[in-house]
Amino acid sequence: MTEVASRTVASVAEALGLTVAGGENHLAVPVTGAQVCDLLSFVISHGRQGHLWITIQTHPNIIAAASLAGLSAIIIASGFEPEDETIDRADEQGIALLTSKDSAYTLAGRVYELGLR
Amino acid sequence: MDQESSSHHEFPVLGKAYFMGGRASTSVKRVLAAAGVEDEVIQRVSVACYEAEMNVVLHARSGFISLDILPDRIVLEVHDQGPGIEDVDLAMTRGWSSASDEARSLGFGAGMGLPNIKDHADDMRIESTPGRGVSMVLTFFLGDRVHD
Repeated sequence: MTEVASRTVASVAEALGLTVAGGENHLAVPVTGAQVCDLLSFVISHGRQGHLWITIQTHPNIIAAASLAGLSAIIIASGFEPEDETIDRADEQGIALLTSKDSAYTLAGRVYELGLR
Repeated sequence: MDQESSSHHEFPVLGKAYFMGGRASTSVKRVLAAAGVEDEVIQRVSVACYEAEMNVVLHARSGFISLDILPDRIVLEVHDQGPGIEDVDLAMTRGWSSASDEARSLGFGAGMGLPNIKDHADDMRIESTPGRGVSMVLTFFLGDRVHD
């Protein structure tokens, strides 16, 4: 995988028109790649430091999984909204929580186009 | 980390509290980072600990995780009170799961948990008494890159 060191969560959020739902103080984190998955066991074992995680899961446990795997941010796709507790935990644990009306498929394509492989 | 020092920590885990899941593992990761354990080991312990914690949350009434940081290794013990596992070999099969539909709809219960633990720990011992609970002892060896 080629890592694009210059990409941060903030620059990806801007390029893709994402809404910041939580963890807004943690947008300067470098992004190294991405995972698209709704299974938590998969993302925690395959996610790598700095990966973005594109998912339609919205419950608070996604924050613990992202934090433990060292992911840079979570993008909730297809217009789903995170639960309030998820937003609180994102702030607490320092994980940027972003949302988009685009599908996971579209988001993955656009992230790939940004040069994140 | 002082080569002669060791420390012991315990974290409770509440069964069925899906949304609390990951709290104990997050604490374990924080303690390991504070102890100066190398990142590669922290990552492996974090994955295994999260899966073991979620196993308690998804299946048991309650449990606890104990963490021992020793000069040459990390030992994680996970004990729960719950239904236990009838056939441990079957439960270790990738893709096999007895999780509820509710758990599956939240992205858990894909039958990846126990194999993930085995993949990330250097040694995994698991014992179960059906009707009583499950005990796991996981060992992670430290390299010589651990410093103060």
